[in-house]
Amino acid sequence: MAGARADRLERYAQLAVRVGANVQKGQTVFVNSQIEHAPLARAITRAAYSAGARYVDVHYRDQHVRRAMIELGPDAALTYEPEWLKTLARANAGEAQIATTGDPEPDLLSDLDGERVSRARMKGVTEIYRQQLVDRSVNWTIVAYPNDGWAEQVFGEPDIERLWEAVAACTRLDEPDPVAAWREHMQRLEARSAKLNELAFDSIHYRGPGTDFRAGLLGNARWMSALFRSRDGVEYVPNMPTEEVFTTPDCRRAEGTIRSTRPLALNGEVIEGLQLTVAGGRIVEVEADRGAGIVRGQLESDERARYFGELALVDGTSRVGQTGVTFFDTLFDENATCHIAYGFGIPEVFDGEPGEGMNVSNVHTDFMIGGPELEVDGVTKDGEVIPILREDTWQLPE
Amino acid sequence: MAAARVTHDERLSRYAELAVRVGANVQPGQLVEVIGRVEHAPVARAVTRAAYEAGARYVDVYYSDQHLRRALIEYAAEDVLSWTPPWLLERAVEIGDEHAAVVALTGDAEPELLADLPGERVGKARMLDLAHENNRQINEQLNNWTVVGVPNEGWAKQMFGEPDTDRLWELVEFCVRLDEDDPVAAWQRHVKRIGARARALNEMQVDRLHFTGPGTDLTIGLLPESRWQGCESETAAGIPYVANMPTEEVFTTPDLRRTEGVVRSTRPLALYGQIVKGLEVRFEGGRIVDVHAAEGEDVVRGQIETDDQAPFLGEVALVDGTSRIGKTGMTFFDTLFDENATCHVAYGSAYAEAVEGGVIEGVNVSTVHTDFMIGGPEVAVDAVLPDGTEVPLLRDDVWQLVSDT
Repeated sequence: MAGARADRLERYAQLAVRVGANVQKGQTVFVNSQIEHAPLARAITRAAYSAGARYVDVHYRDQHVRRAMIELGPDAALTYEPEWLKTLARANAGEAQIATTGDPEPDLLSDLDGERVSRARMKGVTEIYRQQLVDRSVNWTIVAYPNDGWAEQVFGEPDIERLWEAVAACTRLDEPDPVAAWREHMQRLEARSAKLNELAFDSIHYRGPGTDFRAGLLGNARWMSALFRSRDGVEYVPNMPTEEVFTTPDCRRAEGTIRSTRPLALNGEVIEGLQLTVAGGRIVEVEADRGAGIVRGQLESDERARYFGELALVDGTSRVGQTGVTFFDTLFDENATCHIAYGFGIPEVFDGEPGEGMNVSNVHTDFMIGGPELEVDGVTKDGEVIPILREDTWQLPE
Repeated sequence: MAAARVTHDERLSRYAELAVRVGANVQPGQLVEVIGRVEHAPVARAVTRAAYEAGARYVDVYYSDQHLRRALIEYAAEDVLSWTPPWLLERAVEIGDEHAAVVALTGDAEPELLADLPGERVGKARMLDLAHENNRQINEQLNNWTVVGVPNEGWAKQMFGEPDTDRLWELVEFCVRLDEDDPVAAWQRHVKRIGARARALNEMQVDRLHFTGPGTDLTIGLLPESRWQGCESETAAGIPYVANMPTEEVFTTPDLRRTEGVVRSTRPLALYGQIVKGLEVRFEGGRIVDVHAAEGEDVVRGQIETDDQAPFLGEVALVDGTSRIGKTGMTFFDTLFDENATCHVAYGSAYAEAVEGGVIEGVNVSTVHTDFMIGGPEVAVDAVLPDGTEVPLLRDDVWQLVSDT
């Protein structure tokens, strides 16, 4: 068994390198990890060199160091950005990047002054990485590393093996040939987005308990799966797992009410029963059974935060949904079921300039609205209504 | 015994405080760099907290990982082995420009990790540009810095044959005087005593040192400008600091051209993840012309081929039997500790601060600096004065000058 588990980590790293970031010969691979993810970062490093990487540059972060800064450092430390960190960020352009998630201590910052926690951001560095997303200059992916703290958050006990099994199922590591399984999976999602593009809907209509929401679509925005192509022509899968087809809606055209169907983890807090009222594209009211203040605070953070940036469709075949687990990690939870995001739009879905319909903001928060009770329809320009999802089942021909 | 009663967190914070307040001597408003391996996180975190408490402006922690180095050595192209990523060089330059305080952590968590790799590639896998920059900063005395060891299972296992981390902690605490009621005062006394030795040697104006013992008959010529240093150093801006914790040595920079004879190392040397045992080196005209070792010979050869100046001496240091490290009777397999157990020399770069006038002719500049131990009860050390007078410095591990009393 120990052998099989060691092998699992290597296979997982191979998947991240070969399918996820799709590392090309001669590329530098930048790996961003918390120190607790070292076993995965090491496996990724080996897999990346095996795939022909020129150099693998792992940048380890430590949440405890961040905690010390927020707790004990002077005000200026919170926003200090070393120049070399910007150089590191810029060096990613044209290269491959792999980030690992899986919070080993989800509550580590929870007793600190929230205002200082949110001020502790490196805006210049973030902006460089954001621009690389817009320029599609990096082939990148995110994968998660199961660990004790995360398992405890998910299951109430540090059952790391159970978490590994869930992660393995979600990322198709349980298949005899995971790489082939991913190719097949991405083809199916590509076919779904192709069909949606062919139907050229003008808007999407969501109906379910507490939800009656219409979101307008843009003529120049496509539906996509998470099979991206970098400006250098490298096809990569930026999230593992991914189960969604998604688009950027017209931020000016959204109306109605929305009730989230799964808990949302945000800034170390959990929001449950989120209800939004939307008028003229704008979130005008926020209620929740728990944690409404967190969402309200985030919507205040900039002018355009309360407009929508993403619609994503996921059906009941989702491996993440099938686990029945809330992972408290967006990488997984957003792939469990249909979701939408307020905040910035996704530039990849546009062929040319996005234009005014795409929302621009510093935040992007996905929350889940799907489930067996949600009905999703596409509405064409002529007003024809075509069912897309009923009882978690995909209705369009596949 | 008191150490047994303190909690692990208290142990970490006491240690971190010593590194920050006595070692690096962090000044209010300073940028602080902590450099360690992922396995050193508990101490890196405690140092971060202690540094902020001492008034640090910002604390940056850089974690390296030997497993990544292993993968590099195994897979990367020859020209990449010694490459420095530009951001890492820029970071090093900033550490110098900002006159940052630096706390570096050692303590190998997996001493055997690189043992099965080709020694020559292991020796070459060093970031050369970064090494040059670090050298420059040490020579220009830009930073107040210190190095401390981090006890961990792998290191404990290497020393004791079992992962008794607690035992290693107690040894380390003894070596760095954390067993004292007032470690800061104990360090002040210690710094004074070793400082007096350095002064006595400087007053003697030693021309050369002569080491004799089993397998050793070595003469090391000094420069007229060579200055003996004790535990305490000072930055160009005048901030005192203790660069190594522990430290028991007086050391100086020899004339790189005037080493002659043979020397046999008296303790194992841990180098780049390999253990070098029974090292024997022969010098002619200052240069290493012959290297033999019972184990790990290749890694030494690979290292002295790194650059033209690597095979010349850059340091000679004297340690007597009062050394706390020597008293433990242990081999730590870590230069920070082992070099303080007994007398040692280093091939590679010299410390410019130990020379009047800095990097003058005869002072070695290289990208490597490797200390190996040559002292012990059977090794006699004499100072030879310009007029040929021989003055015994060490006999049976006992310091012979009166400066100590």
